[in-house]
Amino acid sequence: MARTKGMAKNIVRYLLLIVVCAWTLAPVAWMVSLSFKGPTEWYAPNLIPAQPIVDNYINLFIPTNPIGGSHFFTSITEPITKPLINSLIAAGLGTLFAVLVGFLAAYGVSRYRAGGTFIIFFTLLTRMLPGATFVAPLMVFYSSIRFIDTYMGLILLYTAVTLTYAIWLMKGFIDEIPPEWEEAALLEGASPWTVLRKVTIPLTKGGLAASALFIFILNWSEFLFALVISVTQVTTLPVQISKYVSAVGRMYGTQASLGIIATIPSVALGYLIQKHLVTGFTFGRIR
Amino acid sequence: MPKLVVKNIRKVFGTFEAVKDVSFQVEEKETLCLLGPSGCGKTTTLRIIAGLEVPTSGEVFVDGVLVNDVPPQKRQIGLVFQDYAIFPHLSVFENIAYGLRVRKMPEAQIERKVHETAALVDVEGILDVPGKKLGLSEMQRVAVGRSITLDPKLLLLDEPLSNIDAKARERMRAELGKLQKEIGIATVYVTHDQLEAMTLADRIAVMRNGLIEQIGTTSEIYDSARTLFVANFIGSPSMNQIDCEFVYDEEQAILKSGGFSLDITEFAETIRDRSKGKELVLGIRPENVSLDIEKTDPKAIEAEVQLVEPVGAKSIYHLKISGLTVLAKDYPMPEANVGVKVWATFNKDKLHLFDKKTEEAIL
Repeated sequence: MARTKGMAKNIVRYLLLIVVCAWTLAPVAWMVSLSFKGPTEWYAPNLIPAQPIVDNYINLFIPTNPIGGSHFFTSITEPITKPLINSLIAAGLGTLFAVLVGFLAAYGVSRYRAGGTFIIFFTLLTRMLPGATFVAPLMVFYSSIRFIDTYMGLILLYTAVTLTYAIWLMKGFIDEIPPEWEEAALLEGASPWTVLRKVTIPLTKGGLAASALFIFILNWSEFLFALVISVTQVTTLPVQISKYVSAVGRMYGTQASLGIIATIPSVALGYLIQKHLVTGFTFGRIR
Repeated sequence: MPKLVVKNIRKVFGTFEAVKDVSFQVEEKETLCLLGPSGCGKTTTLRIIAGLEVPTSGEVFVDGVLVNDVPPQKRQIGLVFQDYAIFPHLSVFENIAYGLRVRKMPEAQIERKVHETAALVDVEGILDVPGKKLGLSEMQRVAVGRSITLDPKLLLLDEPLSNIDAKARERMRAELGKLQKEIGIATVYVTHDQLEAMTLADRIAVMRNGLIEQIGTTSEIYDSARTLFVANFIGSPSMNQIDCEFVYDEEQAILKSGGFSLDITEFAETIRDRSKGKELVLGIRPENVSLDIEKTDPKAIEAEVQLVEPVGAKSIYHLKISGLTVLAKDYPMPEANVGVKVWATFNKDKLHLFDKKTEEAIL
C-alpha cells in the first residue's frame, strides 16, 4: 500500500517537472524550430519545419545570401561577427569590472562597515526606477562627453548598472564566511590583501562564480541602453537581432537563428562553472 | 620584564561599555586566566591584546613595546579561537605552515618547523587531512600548533574548550595543560569555566562587568576571595552564604542569623576593625564543613539531613540548620540518611566574611 502510494507521488512529481520544463522551454523550442524554417513557414504553426533549411544561419555570416531562394533580402550587409565581438567585449568587460569593484566594495561594507548601515539600500535605489527613465538624460550626458557609440561608454554603463547587483550578491557571500578565519590569517602575519587573496576568495569562489554568471547574463542580454548608445560601431547582439527586417517584414527565421547563437556563450559559461554554481546558487542565503 | 602589560584598557561599543578599566601583567612562561561570566568583557580584552579591536583608551605593551598602533599581523601574538578557525580548504600541514608561508620561508625550513610543531601537538598522523574533515580534538591541536609555529611572544586562547562535550573536555583540558607546560610561552586564557581556570592557570583574574574583581594565584582566589562575587564564582558546589549579624560584647562575639549562631570570638577584633557595619555575609565552602553523627566537637552545630548527593569519593549533604540551608561535602556516612540529625563543624580557618556587598573581613 505504502509503496504504490510512494510511486504515485513520484509520478505526480515527475509529471509536474515535465510540465514546468515544457512551459519554460517552449519558447526556446519554438525559436529552434523557427531558425530552421524558410520564409514561407515563418507564420505557420507547425513545430517541425516541413522543409528545414540552414539558410537562416548562413545568412548571419554571409548576408547577401537570399534565404531559401526567396525574395527576402535584408537591409543588413555585414556579417554578425562584429556585433558578436562587441557583445563579448561590452558584456565581458562590464561583468569583469562590476565583479572586481563590486567584490572590493562588498568586502568593505561587510568587514569594515563602510558606508554606514544603509549603503546597500542606497545602491539598490538605482534599480528601483525603470531603465527608460534614464535614457534621455543618458543620451544628453553621453553625447556631451562624446561617449555615444564608443566601447568605453557601453562598458562603463554596464559596469555602473550591474554594480548594484554585484555588491548586493557578494556581500551576502562574504557575510557567510566567519571573520575568525580572516583574523586567524592576520595573526599569522598575513597582510589584509593576502587575507583577501588566500582566505576570503577561495572560500567565496562559488558565490563569486554565481554572481559573475548572473551579471554576465544581465549584460549580455541588455537591449535598451545598447540600442540608445550604439549607432554603428558598438552594436551588440540584442540590437543586431532587432535590425533583421526586410522590405516585406521582419525576418523571424534569421532573428531566431541569431537568438540561438546568442545563447551559446551564456550556456557555455554556465556549463564551465557549474561546479561552483552548486555551492553558490542558493540565493536565499542573502539576508 | 613582563611579557605583556595591559594598562587601563577601556572599550566602548556605541553606548555599551564592554571593558571599563582593566590592567594586568603576564610574566614569561606564566599562564594567566581571564575568568568571568558571559558578557564581562574578557573576550573583548583578549581581542584588544591581539590587535583585532582598538581600545577606546589604554595601552598594551608586548615585551616592553607599546603595540597600540601595531596591526595584528605584526604583533607576533598567537591566538586560538573559540571555534579554532582552521582553514577548511587547506590540509593540516598547510594550516600549520600558513604563517611560515606568508613569511616566505624556504621550503626545507617549513617542512622541518611543521614537523616539529606537529610532533609537539601530536598531529603527525593527520598532516594530509583537509581542514574541514577534522574532529574537534584534532582541530584544537592544529589550532594550537598553528599559533606557535612562528614562536610568538604571547599565546592567547579564547574559550578553547567551550564547544566540547563534558567527557572529551576533561581529556582535552589535560592535553592542553600538558602542552602549556611543554611549550612554556606566556599565555592568556579566556574562559567562563572555573574548573578550567583552576587547573590550567598560574594566576586568575576574575572579571565582571568590564572590571577585574580580583587577580591572584589559584589558591589566593580560592581561599582568600576578596569579594562575594569571586567567592561564589569559584568552587563547585558553590560556597555557602549566610546573611548574619555580627553581635558582640565584652566576652564573646557571634554571628547570628535567626536561630543559627556561630562563635567567632577569636576574630572579634579583626572584624570590628575592618567591617563597616553589622550586616555581614558568612561564607564557608561545603568542603570546609565537616559532619559527624555524634557531637564529638563541643562547638558543633545541630543539623538535619535533607538530601544526600553521592558524587564520588565524598558526598554532598544538603543540611537544614536552624531554618537555613547549608551544603557540606564530606566522606559518606551510611547512617546519615534523610531526616537524620548530624553535627556540623565549620572549619574556622576557612571562614569567609563579607560585608553586605563587596569586601571581605577575614580569611
